[in-house]
Amino acid sequence: MSDPYLRVEGLVKRFGPFTALGGVDLEVYPGEVHCLLGDNGAGKSTLIKTLSGVHEPTKGKIYIEGKPVKFRSPRDASDAGIGTVYQDLAINQLLSVTRNFFMGRELKGSFGTLRMDEMNQIAHDEMLKIGIDFSDPTQAVGTMSGGQRQTLAIARAIYFGAKVLILDEPTSALGQKQQMGVLKTIKKVRARGDIGIIFITHNEIHSRLVGDRFTFLALGQTIGSGTNSEINDEEMRRLMSGGAEMGDLKQELAAI
Amino acid sequence: MADQNEAGRLKQETALQKLLRRPEIGSFTVMLIIIVALSFASEGKSFNALGLKNNIAIIAQYGIIATGAAVLMIAGEFDLSIGSMIGFAGMAMSMMLKWGLPFGMGEATPFTAFIFTLAMTLIFGWLIGTVVVRSGLSSFIVTLAFLFFLRGVTEVSFRLINKSTQISGLPDYKEESWFANLLGGDVFGWFYDLWFMLGGNLNRKGAQWVDGFDARFLWWLIISAVAYFILSRTQFGNWIFATGDNKEAARANGVPVNRVKVTLFMFTAFCATMFAACQVFDTNTSDAAKGNLMELFAIAIAVVGGTLMTGGFGSIIGVVFGAITVGLVANAVFFIPAIDGAWFRVFLGAILLAAVFANERIRKRITGGI
Ligand SMILES: Nc1ncnc2c1ncn2[C@@H]1O[C@H](COP(=O)(O)OP(=O)(O)O)[C@@H](O)[C@H]1O
Ligand SMILES: [Mg+2]
Repeated sequence: MSDPYLRVEGLVKRFGPFTALGGVDLEVYPGEVHCLLGDNGAGKSTLIKTLSGVHEPTKGKIYIEGKPVKFRSPRDASDAGIGTVYQDLAINQLLSVTRNFFMGRELKGSFGTLRMDEMNQIAHDEMLKIGIDFSDPTQAVGTMSGGQRQTLAIARAIYFGAKVLILDEPTSALGQKQQMGVLKTIKKVRARGDIGIIFITHNEIHSRLVGDRFTFLALGQTIGSGTNSEINDEEMRRLMSGGAEMGDLKQELAAI
Repeated sequence: MADQNEAGRLKQETALQKLLRRPEIGSFTVMLIIIVALSFASEGKSFNALGLKNNIAIIAQYGIIATGAAVLMIAGEFDLSIGSMIGFAGMAMSMMLKWGLPFGMGEATPFTAFIFTLAMTLIFGWLIGTVVVRSGLSSFIVTLAFLFFLRGVTEVSFRLINKSTQISGLPDYKEESWFANLLGGDVFGWFYDLWFMLGGNLNRKGAQWVDGFDARFLWWLIISAVAYFILSRTQFGNWIFATGDNKEAARANGVPVNRVKVTLFMFTAFCATMFAACQVFDTNTSDAAKGNLMELFAIAIAVVGGTLMTGGFGSIIGVVFGAITVGLVANAVFFIPAIDGAWFRVFLGAILLAAVFANERIRKRITGGI
């Protein structure tokens, strides 16, 4: 096994008096899909926002290729190879596919003008590589389906040098067919071998289908972790429901 | 893959269909109707040599500030201080010309008066923008505060230094200063010369009637062209759209959202200053009420031109059509004396409302109905 590209140690994040993360550990290896699981409010989004430079950690360390790093802005994190695809995708509906693809990192010509043709070509090619042949990248994103938007956001992160790709609940707002499309995209990215993926989901089946490694969060704490083979279905279900035994839950429900 | 055929679902359109779906098509149609209706109703007077010059003068005035307002609205903010900024800039410039530069720096030339004024208005623009982005307050309320503040400062300064809230009878600077001539003189004289050579443009004595357009025509064209270029062809333009559409998304991708906004508040201040400078050097007068209500006309024209109230979308070409439409109707009373001038506001209110609905339809079409 190679070294992890990204390692997180004892990460704490407080918002005022509220502890959103109370000491979380995480390791992400190239070519692996690391599923981050946990109930609503467990702190998944807070964890990835800290990893992508939106929040500064209150305590704890982040290592990239073994070296400690501090992110002061999303730019720092993306420069360090962390590409985040947010739940809301950070996409502007009214702008074209290309303008979204290059948002904030436009290609400029000699007079500061946009190299529009080149940008159109790249946006088209990069999206094709992971699954969509979108013939007209000058079209507004508003007309794209949810799955296509995911692909755009993922292709964008990869093109701009992501070594760790963070996907925050990419399947949650999609229909069945599109969810499968996103899982295929995840597999395609995984197959490249050089990119680690943090896949946040509620869905046990999805995480089984593509996950190599799992970390379970509950109330801001890591309550379990392991590889796909180490964790059996029952253990998985127990950890997914925040660490309670299935039997306990049954009893609780029966008591009502 | 299921997604692979998605692109094929998009209907291929002909060039004409594409043209008809452009967001400017509404303002363009209204403009055409107004031009035709006005030509008939005024028996051609709106577009004879003098009519054209006078119409373009007011169209250019509206166009200059509407461009600033539109670009700022695309970035998701409003500026209600434009009108007061015009008053302030006109006051500052004319007072320096009459009473000399501040801090005993001696007599002002048109150039130094303009530069000092521009420096002040840009600082105000910067301040307004900084207050908006730092406080997170709505630009509506912050710029409303500056609407009162700047108008008050303008009147108070006038009374303190000049004893009267207007200045008239300044020397005609454009006679001697190339710079004053650039702002207040004539442009495109060749157009009227040509018209005369072709047998038109005659006054009662049979000599050449009109010599050229007001210089603000040229400034309007320049400002519109630059705004168009920046929006469609530059990185900063992409940032403007991104900022107005979804600020958080833009920020997450590294767009310096605050810097974009502050810059655009400075741009509206610049447009207001150009409006004032052209007026001061054209008429050699100024008064404290100049620019009153202009911020609202600017916003109205931006909306009529297809700019979304919610930001993220707009077209400079649409704003050009909007300025032409509104300018022509504002002036119509001079060419058709029979009508009551107040109809102008009835008309403006009506097309503004129509434009808001039309823009909303366009937005829905682009975002797939959300
Ligand atoms: N900026 C913030 N300020 C205060 N509390 C926050 C903030 N962001 C998240 N939280 C709180 O932290 C907890 C974890 O939230 P989140 O990370 O979004 O959970 P998840 O993504 O796992 O559903 C929630 O209780 C949420 O209310
Ligand atoms: Mg979340």
